[in-house]
Amino acid sequence: MPDWPLFQPFLVSGLALGGVYALSGVGMVVLYRATGVLFLAFGAVGAMGALIAYSIIDHGGPEWLAWAECVLFGGVLTLLYGTVFGPPLARRGPLVKAVATLGLTLILLGVMDLLWPSDGGRARSLELPTSDGGFTIGDVRATWTQVVALGVGIVLVVATALFLRYTKLGTAMRAMADDREITATLGVPVRQVEAAAWFGCGVIAGAAGLLLADLVALDAVTLVFLVIPSLAAALIGRMSSITVTFAAAIFIGLARNMLTPISEVSRYREMTEFVVAAIALLVIAARRQEISFTREGA
Amino acid sequence: MLTRANLIRAAVAAAIVLFCVFGLAELLSLYYIGAMTQVALYSVVALGLGVLVGRVGLYSLGQAAILAIGAWVAARLLFATSQPHWLVLLEAGVITMVIGILVGLPALRLRGLYLALITLMLAGAISVLVNRTNFPNGGGGFLGYDGRGNLTPIPRPDIADSDRAFFRYTVIVAAVMFVLVLVHLRTKPGRAWAAIRQSEPAALAAGINITLYKLWALALASFVTGVAGGLLASGQRFLFAINFPPQESITLLAVVLMGGAYSLWGAIVAGVLLKLLPALLNDWGLSADWLFILFGIGVLQVLTTAPRGLADQFPKDMANLGRLLWRIGRGLTGRARQQRQAPPAAQAGAAGTGGVAAEEVEVAR
Amino acid sequence: MRNARRNGGRLAVALCAAGALVLAGCGDDDEGGGGPAAQPGASGGQAPGAVDVSQCGTDPGVRATGEPIKLGAIVTDQPGTSFTDIPYMARAYFECVNDNGGINGRPIEYVIETEQTQPDQVSAAARKLVETDQVLGIVGNTSIIECSVNHEYWESVGYYVIDSGIAPECYSTPNSAAVNMGPRYSSDGAVQYVLAHGAKKVVFDQSNVPGTDYIAAGPQAIADDAGVPITQLTEDVPINDANSVALRLVQEAGPDGAVVLNFTPPEALKILQAAEDLNIHENIAMWACSTPCNTDFLAAELGDGWENLLFVNAELTPLSESSETIDLYRAILEEYGDDVQGGAGSFSQMGFVEARIMVDALRRVEGEFTPETVNAAIRETEGFDTGMLCEPWTYGDFPLHIPNNVDYTVTPRDGVMVIADDGGCTPISDVDPHIAQYRAAVG
Repeated sequence: MPDWPLFQPFLVSGLALGGVYALSGVGMVVLYRATGVLFLAFGAVGAMGALIAYSIIDHGGPEWLAWAECVLFGGVLTLLYGTVFGPPLARRGPLVKAVATLGLTLILLGVMDLLWPSDGGRARSLELPTSDGGFTIGDVRATWTQVVALGVGIVLVVATALFLRYTKLGTAMRAMADDREITATLGVPVRQVEAAAWFGCGVIAGAAGLLLADLVALDAVTLVFLVIPSLAAALIGRMSSITVTFAAAIFIGLARNMLTPISEVSRYREMTEFVVAAIALLVIAARRQEISFTREGA
Repeated sequence: MLTRANLIRAAVAAAIVLFCVFGLAELLSLYYIGAMTQVALYSVVALGLGVLVGRVGLYSLGQAAILAIGAWVAARLLFATSQPHWLVLLEAGVITMVIGILVGLPALRLRGLYLALITLMLAGAISVLVNRTNFPNGGGGFLGYDGRGNLTPIPRPDIADSDRAFFRYTVIVAAVMFVLVLVHLRTKPGRAWAAIRQSEPAALAAGINITLYKLWALALASFVTGVAGGLLASGQRFLFAINFPPQESITLLAVVLMGGAYSLWGAIVAGVLLKLLPALLNDWGLSADWLFILFGIGVLQVLTTAPRGLADQFPKDMANLGRLLWRIGRGLTGRARQQRQAPPAAQAGAAGTGGVAAEEVEVAR
Repeated sequence: MRNARRNGGRLAVALCAAGALVLAGCGDDDEGGGGPAAQPGASGGQAPGAVDVSQCGTDPGVRATGEPIKLGAIVTDQPGTSFTDIPYMARAYFECVNDNGGINGRPIEYVIETEQTQPDQVSAAARKLVETDQVLGIVGNTSIIECSVNHEYWESVGYYVIDSGIAPECYSTPNSAAVNMGPRYSSDGAVQYVLAHGAKKVVFDQSNVPGTDYIAAGPQAIADDAGVPITQLTEDVPINDANSVALRLVQEAGPDGAVVLNFTPPEALKILQAAEDLNIHENIAMWACSTPCNTDFLAAELGDGWENLLFVNAELTPLSESSETIDLYRAILEEYGDDVQGGAGSFSQMGFVEARIMVDALRRVEGEFTPETVNAAIRETEGFDTGMLCEPWTYGDFPLHIPNNVDYTVTPRDGVMVIADDGGCTPISDVDPHIAQYRAAVG
């Protein structure tokens, strides 16, 4: 077992990683609460936005355009998906809705590998201007991008909570999460509210994609499957609590990184999110708390 | 039970198996023999997943991991012992079944989406383990892995050493698995699953042990998937962890939904989509990426418009097409009344809607 | 299914959107190819137009029209891992030869089989090439598992394969000879370089793919022989926590140590960039990398600050050097290499070298072209000057083949890879028992 000082840098990088997971996790929970859809294509949408941003910069386009494109692409594509496939699936259960988003994931995975192939040993990266600077904690540097990621995560949690509680649109979203039919009969424009939720979460997916492309890697498969730790966090938050999701994401990020220097278990650290999520699910099973999923039932 | 439609179905199925064993095995090039062997064994995997999705509403996102367990066990046993191959298949099936039950027992308290997600998580954990232990390749020790190269091929049965013979062997084992599942569907468990799918409370009221029958479905699915894993081990002759990527479970679910989870024919369609289509794309020089795109579109299409999948939809479409052509033909010739035969496609449609025709019920509630 | 029609309409909308995406993206890719090395000349400084491509053939400007000579290749092409650039570049070379006289007037026909790392598919592809397509020789194979799966088959039918090796069997069996050194010997070279430049400790990290133990044995032997401690690690790929990987590597290595990576370019890039982001990349004596890192993509993405800090083992002449062969390679790539997606780089270089060796062998065939005569000619290749390797290339009749065992070391500078100090041709140490065994066999 290594000494404590050896762990310190892992603590810092674990926090940053957790912040990254939190971003997607919170986005998934918000979308789930507003539309009843567990959006498993969250990573894929962000990845595609980031790859297009890469191509814009690679072809000499201005950076601001690339960043804006990535965020907007996420919003538009997610909105498009929600508009096209939301209504026909509206009466189906959450399981079918979630599996349908896997369909979108597969399409995006295929398109990304076609358009940004890996032939000839190509490697890509996307560096945000915030990665040029940073400050030093202990032995390691934390870049501003990491700070931004963590910050965006916190801001997102607070803003979403305020939004859902105090704005008219937010109240409508919460009402819809409880009961779509009754909300509709009360005169809430269900379609518009849902569209707002889809677009908003797509924007989060795009922003997360941009940050993750810088912090983790600009690689389609990696980014697509980064939803797993976020999903694990969202499950611990029972798909309803934004704050618990955030805390769980930070915990998973920390746990993964803190396990890295311990030789005995380092090889198995990849299992962290799977095991954490499985335990969370089993605890839910033991307590028979099927909360938000049942509420949204078929 | 021996209705005319059933007889026709049985005859068609028997004809397909006989054609594969005696016709296809000689006709195809070695390249397509390999692809068709995969089709046969992945049909069995799809069959197992179809039982889970179609009968008890369990959308498993972990079948590739179960298949990997079956393949691992079979490979280890084939290297370590000199038992008959069929016995090893049986043992691989049973061991996989036990593991499936052990994993499923606590998970079955969950329902719907949570149950699907826990399969995803457990499969992820298993794939990390498989990545670390690797597949047996003739080495020593419990794991049977030797990372220094110069691998030993996984043995095949003596009677089926060549690729063509192994294709026949696979088709026959697959047919046995289909019969096994069919027997389940036509007897008590099948009726219990149908009742559970209609309404869990009603099934409970009727005195059906829901947990037992759900576990039974999981055991059956794990067993056939384990046997398929055994076929995979010997068919491939070498196993690598990279053959079981995380996407595999997702594409498996996609093709099962596309093929149709409610009929046994759907499993064969799924096998064809999953393994024959890539071989064709390769042959035509198209990128395998198109498969992802196609499967993704297929999932969305099936979930939004045709929940019973291609096995159900395609014969209907064909029947409609047949009727349309029939009408056009009648209009053109004006002598239709004299020819009294029915459009042939309509018959195919009747045969194709096999399986239990219960309404799709959302079990996710 | 009341709403089937309406939903169908939505689906059509979605499909159109997906189609538009694909089209938009295609246009996007055509313009630039998506990377720095897609612009030939950007890294070499030589204008490709200055070279006459017709020198690839014996009869300039005369298209070969006789009965085709069939050759074949098996290559991995799956989402995320694609080596098609190698046979595609070989095909470009063959096209050039066909346009300029062919092989005594006969054109080369090249059948490329792609596979998705499924052993049965790989084995069926070999049988298809030999039995159905009846190719006379195999050249350009590049696959994660092909050598492992098929080497016995090649031995049984007497085909002598010219390949780019990855699996251990590409280097340890009688019927496979590679133009590259493969992961093990290339890692050997990287470890040798850092030891020669004063590293007091080595941390060797590689991706967890088939054959890790086999690869690890090489660097282990070399470090043990030098009396320097070595730590062996593996990572599951794709890596998704590169920061912690980089931290651990740097901690393990310490200030006087070196980290040696054996990863594909995207994975290596993740680790190196993470180290730079954490500002710990200068906390160790040096970084090194086996040959896959030798791509200008990596050099361009890494940017400044890695010159003489990262050393990459290079088994082919760096494109920053200038020579007649490199000019010819660039010219052929320009004129015939539309399919070569990665452009100029070590992948297409390998395809070029393999095709040249094959064409040389075919020209030495006397009389009928049969599998026997063609493969005999391949096996008899001896001391062939490829113009892109440190040493002439020999096939020969040996129980194992490591014909490329002398190599360069490069370092990134201004977005391209250039030869490092003391990075000229250096033999891989025969402390690695396989190298010793090969040299003993060759004599």
